[in-house]
Amino acid sequence: MQIELSDAELVRKIGSGNDREAEAELFRRMAPRVRLYGLRHMRNEQAAADLTQQVLITTLEALRVGRLREPEKLASFVLGTCRMTVLDLRRGAQRKERLLEQFGADLLAPVQPSIPHLDHEQLTRCVQNLKERERTVVVMTFYDEQTSVDVASFLGVSEANVRVIRHRAIHQLRQCMGVAA
Amino acid sequence: MGDEGDRVNCSHPIDAAVLADYWLAALPHREEEVIEEHLLGCDMCGARLREMIALAEAVRNLAREGSLRMVVSEAFLERAAEEGLRVRQYAPPPGGGVQCTVTAEDDILIGRLAANLSGAKRVDLCICDERGVEQLRLPDIPVHPGASSVAFQESITYAKAAPTSKMIARLVAFDEAGGERLLGQYTFNHTRSLPGPGAW
Repeated sequence: MQIELSDAELVRKIGSGNDREAEAELFRRMAPRVRLYGLRHMRNEQAAADLTQQVLITTLEALRVGRLREPEKLASFVLGTCRMTVLDLRRGAQRKERLLEQFGADLLAPVQPSIPHLDHEQLTRCVQNLKERERTVVVMTFYDEQTSVDVASFLGVSEANVRVIRHRAIHQLRQCMGVAA
Repeated sequence: MGDEGDRVNCSHPIDAAVLADYWLAALPHREEEVIEEHLLGCDMCGARLREMIALAEAVRNLAREGSLRMVVSEAFLERAAEEGLRVRQYAPPPGGGVQCTVTAEDDILIGRLAANLSGAKRVDLCICDERGVEQLRLPDIPVHPGASSVAFQESITYAKAAPTSKMIARLVAFDEAGGERLLGQYTFNHTRSLPGPGAW
């Protein structure tokens, strides 16, 4: 049975020498997480993929030379790197080509999108079964891209109330779709 | 929705609604930082966030299809227009009617129901058949306090399949004592212009 390395063990293995297996595990482990961060902040699949590559390369560079002093804080280090890289990307600082040359494309294979697929007919029924205000809040939030302030103004309720309605609607939708809250 | 690839059993999973707030950038900065730190170390909550993103995307696509029967906001109509969707609107006067149809090119179908909504604590929208018999009620619809009309979206899928027929919509308000008051009645005389059956 294969025993999974902790983050700290992974960091130590990478720092101790040219351990390609440990480096590959770092990519496997962190790439989906960084990609989610990228989706949230860049709102774009390609930009999230670019961010993932850059963050993981920067992390790998640091781990190889033992720059992470507290190995158990790998997640915090990666998060900090994500933030810096998003700023870099927004400033248009592109290091991708140089890094691709340095590290090779095999290690930097793009992370495949892994957003689950939902049954369309079932979702239609679930959304239609929401209360009127819940449906409106959900659609105004996810389609109209209105803030809670805007939705509150439309409904004539408080912002906090909109949040409560949205939370209730999301829980109901998840339940209706067969997912635990 | 699957949880494939989970590596960690999270002892403190983040609530799905909080993940939605995170996705919507609606969390206070400090709370967002805590969530992000958690997500960078937790595949289970990452999977839950992916489910949340999928739900958000699916709702967006559903709204774009125009098949939800609901009251919509002006922002919805603006958004639809920005996306290049073809919005067909009819605005019968209160107590009156309008001749209407829907074509294959239409994406969104709106009935604009003018009414004096001021002071109404609760407004219901009733959908009735040609004899005025209530078939469906949307209770406590969202109405903007200062609005002079309600934008009701009829399902474009339904409308495209519907035979030539008459539909009556009624807006009714409730007072503090629960008494019902008619705000307006609107008749839609739908003529089928797409090939298909003449009746249901």
